[in-house]
Amino acid sequence: MKTLLFILIVLISGALAGTVHGIVNLGIVEPYLDQAIGIENQNLFEAGKEEDTPQFWAEYSAYRDWQKGGQVLAGAILGTSIGALFGIVYAFSRQILPGNNDVKKTFLLAGIMWFTLYLIPFLKYPANPPTVGDGETVVLRAILYLSFIAISGFGAVGFYQVYKRLKQNIKVLALVGYAAFIGMTFVLMPPNPDEVTAPMDLVNEFRIMSVLGVTVFWITAAVILGMLWHKLRPDSEISIK
Amino acid sequence: MRYTEQVTSTVSKPPMLAIALLAVVFAFGLFIVGYDQGHLFSIVQGAEAYEELYMHEMTHDMRHAAGFPCH
Repeated sequence: MKTLLFILIVLISGALAGTVHGIVNLGIVEPYLDQAIGIENQNLFEAGKEEDTPQFWAEYSAYRDWQKGGQVLAGAILGTSIGALFGIVYAFSRQILPGNNDVKKTFLLAGIMWFTLYLIPFLKYPANPPTVGDGETVVLRAILYLSFIAISGFGAVGFYQVYKRLKQNIKVLALVGYAAFIGMTFVLMPPNPDEVTAPMDLVNEFRIMSVLGVTVFWITAAVILGMLWHKLRPDSEISIK
Repeated sequence: MRYTEQVTSTVSKPPMLAIALLAVVFAFGLFIVGYDQGHLFSIVQGAEAYEELYMHEMTHDMRHAAGFPCH
C-alpha cells in the first residue's frame, strides 16, 4: 500500500465532496434556515430581548453572511471527516465488494454507509431547523443521535459477519436480523425530547432538503474516491523480477 | 541471451498508521462540526470560549443541515 497516496486521495475526495455538500446547501437548505432564524428573531422582538432596528438587521445580515461562509468551510471539514471513515472502510472492504471497477464498488459502499449511518438514524432523530431545538437538551440529543449512529453502524458490521458465515440459500436471514435489530433499537431508544413548535411545512421541507444535501455528499464522495482509486491504485504494488 | 521478466501486481492491506491517522481525522472533524460547544478554543481562550461558541456558530448551518442536534 502506498501510504501517503492512500491518505491523500481519501482526504481529498472527502474534502471535495464536503465542499460540494456545503455549496449545495447554500442553494437548497439556507432559505429554510433563514426562515427559521427569522422566526427566532420575531420571538426575540416580542420578548423584548432585541429591538427591530436597522442596526439590528445590518448586524444580523453580516452575521448570517459569515455563517453561510461557515456552511461551506464546515462542509469541507465534515466531508474530510466522513471521507476518512469512508476511505478506511473502503480500504478494508474493497476486495469483497462486488463490481468490476472502483466507482461501482465505492457507490455500493457509499449507499450502505448512507443508509446505515445517516438515513436510519435520521428516521428516528430527523434534522431540525433552528427554533426547534432546546439548548437545555442539546447534550442528551447529541448522545442519543451519536448512539443510534454507532448502534446502526456496528450492527451492520456485525450482521455482515453473520452474512459471511451463513449458507448461500439463507444469507437473507442476516438482512432480516439487521432489520429486526434496528427495528427494536428504533422502538427502545427514547424520542427527541424537544417539542416541535415551528410550522411543520417549514420543518418537513427543511428535512427533505437536508436529506438531499447529505445524499449529494455521499454520491460525490463515491464518484471522487472511486475515480481516484481506480486511476492511482494506492493498494497496488508492482514488482518486476 | 534470452531472459524473461515477471511482473507481479499485489494488492496490499492498508497500514495501521494510515488507518489510525484517518481515524483521528474522522473523530476530530466530527467533533468540530457536530459537537463542539467551545471546547476547542477553550484550550487557548479559557472559559470565555464556552460563551463565545465561535466554532459552534461557524459550523452552525452545516450542523443543522447535516442532522446534528443544535439549539
